[in-house]
Order: sequence, then structure tokens, then C-alpha cells
Amino acid sequence: MNLRDNWRLVLLTLLLVLSSVALFVPLGSTATAETGLVDTSTTLDFGLELSGGTRIRAPVVGMHVENVEGLPTESADRRTLQTGLASTLNVSLPDVRIDPASGVVEVYAEADDGDVTAAAFAGALREDGYQVTAGDVQQGVTDETLEQMERTLDDKINRGGLAGGDASIARPAGGSEPFMLVEVPNANRAEVLDLIGSRGQVQLVAQFPTQTNGSTVYQEIPLFDQSGIQSVRSAEQGRGESPPYVPIQLQPDATRTFTEVMNQNGFTGEGVQSCRYGRNPDDSGYCLYTVRDDEVVFAASMSRGLAGIIRNGEFQGDFQITASNYSEAQRLQLDLQAGALPSNLDIGDGTSLFLEPSLAQEFKLFSLLTGIVAVLAVSVTVFLRYREPGVAAPMVLTAAAEVFVLLGFAAAIGLALDLSHIAGFIAVIGTGVDDLIIIADEILQEGEVRTGRVFESRFRKAFWVIGAAAVTTIIALSPLAVLSLGDLQGFAIVTIVGVVIGVLVTRPAYGNILRNIVLE
Amino acid sequence: MAETRARLPFSLPEVDYERYSNRQLVAVPLAVLGLALAVITAFYMLSGSPVGLGIAFTGGTELQVLTSDSPAEIRSTFPAEISSIQPISSQADTYIVTFQSTNTGALEQQARGAGYVIESVQGRSASFGAGSQTQALTGIGVAFLGMSLLVFLLFRSFVPSVAVVASAFSDIVIPVALMNLFGIKLSLGTVAALLMLIGYSVDSDLLLNNHVLRRRGGFYESTYKAMRTGVTMTLTSITAMSVMTLTAFLLGIPLLPSIGVVLVFGLIADLMNTYMLNVTLLRYYKFEAIGR
Repeated sequence: MNLRDNWRLVLLTLLLVLSSVALFVPLGSTATAETGLVDTSTTLDFGLELSGGTRIRAPVVGMHVENVEGLPTESADRRTLQTGLASTLNVSLPDVRIDPASGVVEVYAEADDGDVTAAAFAGALREDGYQVTAGDVQQGVTDETLEQMERTLDDKINRGGLAGGDASIARPAGGSEPFMLVEVPNANRAEVLDLIGSRGQVQLVAQFPTQTNGSTVYQEIPLFDQSGIQSVRSAEQGRGESPPYVPIQLQPDATRTFTEVMNQNGFTGEGVQSCRYGRNPDDSGYCLYTVRDDEVVFAASMSRGLAGIIRNGEFQGDFQITASNYSEAQRLQLDLQAGALPSNLDIGDGTSLFLEPSLAQEFKLFSLLTGIVAVLAVSVTVFLRYREPGVAAPMVLTAAAEVFVLLGFAAAIGLALDLSHIAGFIAVIGTGVDDLIIIADEILQEGEVRTGRVFESRFRKAFWVIGAAAVTTIIALSPLAVLSLGDLQGFAIVTIVGVVIGVLVTRPAYGNILRNIVLE
Repeated sequence: MAETRARLPFSLPEVDYERYSNRQLVAVPLAVLGLALAVITAFYMLSGSPVGLGIAFTGGTELQVLTSDSPAEIRSTFPAEISSIQPISSQADTYIVTFQSTNTGALEQQARGAGYVIESVQGRSASFGAGSQTQALTGIGVAFLGMSLLVFLLFRSFVPSVAVVASAFSDIVIPVALMNLFGIKLSLGTVAALLMLIGYSVDSDLLLNNHVLRRRGGFYESTYKAMRTGVTMTLTSITAMSVMTLTAFLLGIPLLPSIGVVLVFGLIADLMNTYMLNVTLLRYYKFEAIGR
């Protein structure tokens, strides 16, 4: 054995060793290793289709205009513009975002979700003196909003007990609207939608009666939302008759506002202990509403103790957000901690997939079986053709080595294997065997190979076809690798990487094996 | 000693190209291609799309349920129209039910209400599907164009390049027509297979052109040499893909059977196109076009 003549074999051996290391040596504990998703015998990660769970792809509701000039930088003016736009478009205040630094105005509503059209949005901005046409309005939300969606979704999923879940932003090629991709192993579609299907905006609203011209009119004042909360502690069961609650600490600003509103509107005087929402929602007295996504979750009275503290100006921002039952309190705690989603996910305009974990486990086993059966079929055909174990056996082994190296590659880069990748492996075996047959026929053709030089020349000839075919395959599949056809991206990437590894390392190594056989 | 006959592998019968005229040889693949195009056109006129679109492209819902109900009973469970109910051969009482309806949540509830065990749910909105359709078409178009450019770059002469591109075109069109005939809908898997065919089918054409144009030796000798290798390649791939398709189908694995079946269609078409269409165009180029 001469190392210089066998460098192709040496290279393959090296790759096989590296792949074994990547596949079987766990390198520290990664995040996924704790979730039990990883097959303990290898370091391979499996995607949803082979481990089970829920995947949701959905665009984010909203539209925006960029490069609007002259947006107010003073926070009071900005507030006025925001309030004006919200009331013109008939959406709630947090649905309008204005960012003067980047000249962006964004609204979290659409024609079929909140009844705001691009024309109406542009019209509302023009009313306020900004030169914007409907053509300037871009569907979809800004990158800032997408990133906040991603952070909040991640937080919600992981705090919500759906361990190992993950949200990410997917940007289709060709400039169509980006969407959020949420993957949660071991949870079904309904559980995931329950968690992320709504925004989880929590507000505390004071409602109280005022006397105008002799008649009683109810007035509402929003006290604070998630942004006014400094810290949140775990939900607690209520003692005795008092309801379950989430203890929170308010920001200084929110504490001041709260104290003022309570003192000025009678909550600390005649309003103490006088909410009768349960008995008479139309004439409910002095109530503090816990509002989640514009729905009243619970109506609480001002307690005697807290009223005293507020009256004396000693309120430090310790507050309890109440709920009607414990699970609701836990849900509020989650929403308060993770924060509200800036906008809704447009689930109806996306895709969803749920796969029972046991079924996915079966797919994993069965696709391995399918792969083995396919390799066996190749072996039988190749044996029938060459009737020479010395030619056919290394061929099958080389094809298998190629898949092994590819698996090593997948483990090394932490690729989560899905069915589309398995299809890619099978495609790689297919192109691989084609190439090996070309090499075998070229080298074994009539006229003995007496010298290494003849071998090299024949090998180069075979390599021309193999190289050209490989480049064609790569060109044919590269659109899939870039387009966001979801499941097919993995197929394309695996096939392309497989073809590259095959053409550069494994398939030449087979030629090397044949060289040793014929030259002996 | 020039070989004048092809000694094909797998004890296939001998082929003697000299007995047939160019016209005769080309007639078969062109007729099949014409027929395939006719099928696709007819399908287009009837349905408004050249091939039946699966829920990946139209939007819809697919449920895999475990139930003792019969398919007829399943139909009556859902008020929404059911496009197909497909039993899974590897598991008793398991069906894949496909709907055009995109109201996935409601269908899921109805299935639960009827006591079905939901093993998998897949929902896709119509707008998302339409987006995928454009992307898939663009993908196939770009891939084909890229392949054609590469082939012209490799051979730098018109007829041989056209021979490869024409075979590849036919290799894609024939499976699409067969999909229409067998009622296989275009899914993400079949799009992958069609793209894969562009790469796969060109292998044997490149091999043939390379042997005939870039090597010493007579036309027939080179052709038969290329055929020995090329036919082995394609038959091995056909065997592997058929076995994979069958196994994956019997085991109820999604995605793989549709990829496999389209590849088998395309590879069979490729055998015909390479060794009747491509070969004849090359012979014309070698003996007539160059001589003139």
C-alpha cells in the first residue's frame, strides 16, 4: 500500500472517522439533549416528522409604511398621532406603532382581520398630513415586530410547559411576506394554538360611576398593561373566599398613575369593597377589571387594606392581579411574564401539522427499513450485472459509506432529520450508484490496466461525466434549497451536500479500490 | 475490433441501430411525447391546471385517523366535502382523509367528537398554497433553464445539446402525463421528484454524448459502450426506486412513495428518450449535419 497512490482512500477513511465522532461522541449537553428528543444511541437530532409534535407556519397580521418623513419625535405628539390613527382605523391603541427614527408606521390589522385596508391606512396617514399612497403600504409587519414576535413566542412556548418548542422567522425567496414558524415537539395542535393563537394582552382597567347632569355614567380608565409591570411572581391560590391571584410589582410610573386614578375617582373612598359585577354587570359600581385580549377575565373590588395604603400615599406598587380560578391565574402569569404578542398570528393563512409521536417513531423505524431495502435492491442489481463480488461489494459499501458520512454531517451541524432528508439520502444513494457504475465500467473496460498512469487517465475520463452530472443535479436542486417550499428545502440541501461529498470523496475512493484490485 | 452490436447487461436482447432509419427511431419517442402533451393539454382544459394539485398547492386539510368506522361512515361524520379517503395498508383501521376545507380546527373537533383517534393533522391555507404553486413552478423553470445552459456550455454545439435538453424535457413531461392518468396529485414530494429527474435523466444523456463526441472510435462502438453503462445505471435506479416506493407505500410512510413513483416513471421514459431520441439526433449530427 502506497499512501500517495491511495490518497483518495485515506481521505474517505478520515471522513468516516470524523463522521463516527460526530455521530457517537456527545459533545457537551446541548439544549435539545435535555428535552429527551435525542435518540440516546447517536447524537442525531430528529425533526417533527420523525419525532412527533406540532408545526405551525403563519404570517403575522399587519401592514406598514416605511420612510415616512416628519414623524413626531416628541413622545406627547407621537401619542396624539397614535391615538388619532387608532380611532380613525377603529383599532385599539397598541395596534398602532410609530417609530420616528426609522420612519415606520405600522398597524397590526388587515382587511380580513381587523377590517383595515391598505387604502384606509394610507388615507388615515394622509388625513394627518403625511404623503402616503396605498401603493406605499407593504403587507406584513416590520422586521422589528417579527423579531419581537419570535422572542415572545419562544418565551410563551417554553414558559407554557411545552418544552423544546421553538419559534423562528422564515423568509421566502422572492420577497413574499415572511412568516413565523413554530415547532413544538410532543404537543398537539390544539394545545399549541391555545398558547399562541391569541396575543395575551393583559390590562387592568378601572371602571366607576360618575354623575353627569343628574344621571349616572360609567367611565373606564386603563391603569396599566404588561409594559407597566416590573416583575411577576408565581400565581397563588386564594385564601378562604378570596380569588386566586398573580403577585406583581408595578413600575414607578404605573404606580403613580394607579395611585392618582384610585384617589381621584373614589376607589379609596365610597368605592371600597363595592364591585357588584357578578350580580349586576350593567351597574357594577367601582370595579378593577382584569382584561385579557379585550375580554374581562375577572372583576375585583378595591380592598379595604389596599385603599388605606393608597390613601395615605404609601402604595409602593405591590399589587395582585386576580382571576376567577387557579388555571386562569397561571395563564395570566404566563402572559404577564412572556409579554403580549405585538400582533396576531394569521393562523388561517398558514399551515399546520400535527403528528402523533408514536406514529413519528414508526416513520423513523420504517424509513430506516426502506433505506436498507433500497440498498439491498441496488446490491442485487449490481451483483447481477458484474457477477464479481470484488467489483460489486465495494460499490455497495461505498454507497453505504456515503450515507454514513452524510449522517455524520447532519449530526455535526445539528440538522434535525425529517422525512424530506431521508428522501434526500435515498436520492444520494441513487446518484451515487450511477456514478460508481460509470467508474467501474470505465476502469474495467477491455484492455488491461497495467500501470497507474492508464488508471489515472481512465479515472479522469469517468470523472468528466460524473462531474458534469453532479453539477446538473446541483443546478436542478438549488432552486429548492433557496425557495421556502418548507419540507423540500431539507431534501435539496441533503442531496446537494451528498452529491458534493460523493463526487469529491467517496466515489473517487471507489475508483481507488478498483485500482488496487486491477493493478494486483 | 469495433463492436457493431450492443451487448447489453442483464441478458437484454441485442439492439442493432443500423437496421432502423433516423425517422423510424425518432418516431416512437416523439409520438409518446406528443401523446403526453395531449394528455396534459386535455387535463388543463378540463381542470384549469396542467396537473392535479394536492393540498400543498390548493390549501386544505389532511387528517390521519384511527377508527373502526368504514369509509362510508367516515364520510357521514364530516359535514365538509371529503376529497379522498385512503386506508393505510400497514395499520388496520387507519385512514388518511383529505378535505378541500381549510377550517382545520373544526374538522379536528368533528373527528374528536366522533371518537376518532387523530394521529396526524395537516392544514394549509389557500393563499399559502397558491404561493407554493408559484414557487414550485419557478423552481422547475429555473432548474430546467440552468440545466440547459450547462449542457450547451459542456458540448458547445447545437444538435447534441438540443438532444440532451429535448430528452430531459420529455423525461419530465411524460411522468406529468402519467400522474394525470393515474390520478397522482402534485405534492411537494412530486415536485422534488420532477426536479430530481432533471438531474437524474441527464446522467445517461451526458454519458452517451461524451462517449460519442469526445472519444475516439466509431459511432456505433461508442454508442454501445455508453449503452452498456447507461442501461445498467438506469435499471439499477429503477429497481432501487421501485423497491423504495413499494416498501414506503406498504409501511405507510408519507412523501417517499410519491417521490419514488414519479422517479420510476421518469427513468423509464429516460431509457426510451436516451436510446431512441438522443441517440438518433446524435447519429444525424455525426453522419449528416457535420458532413454537409
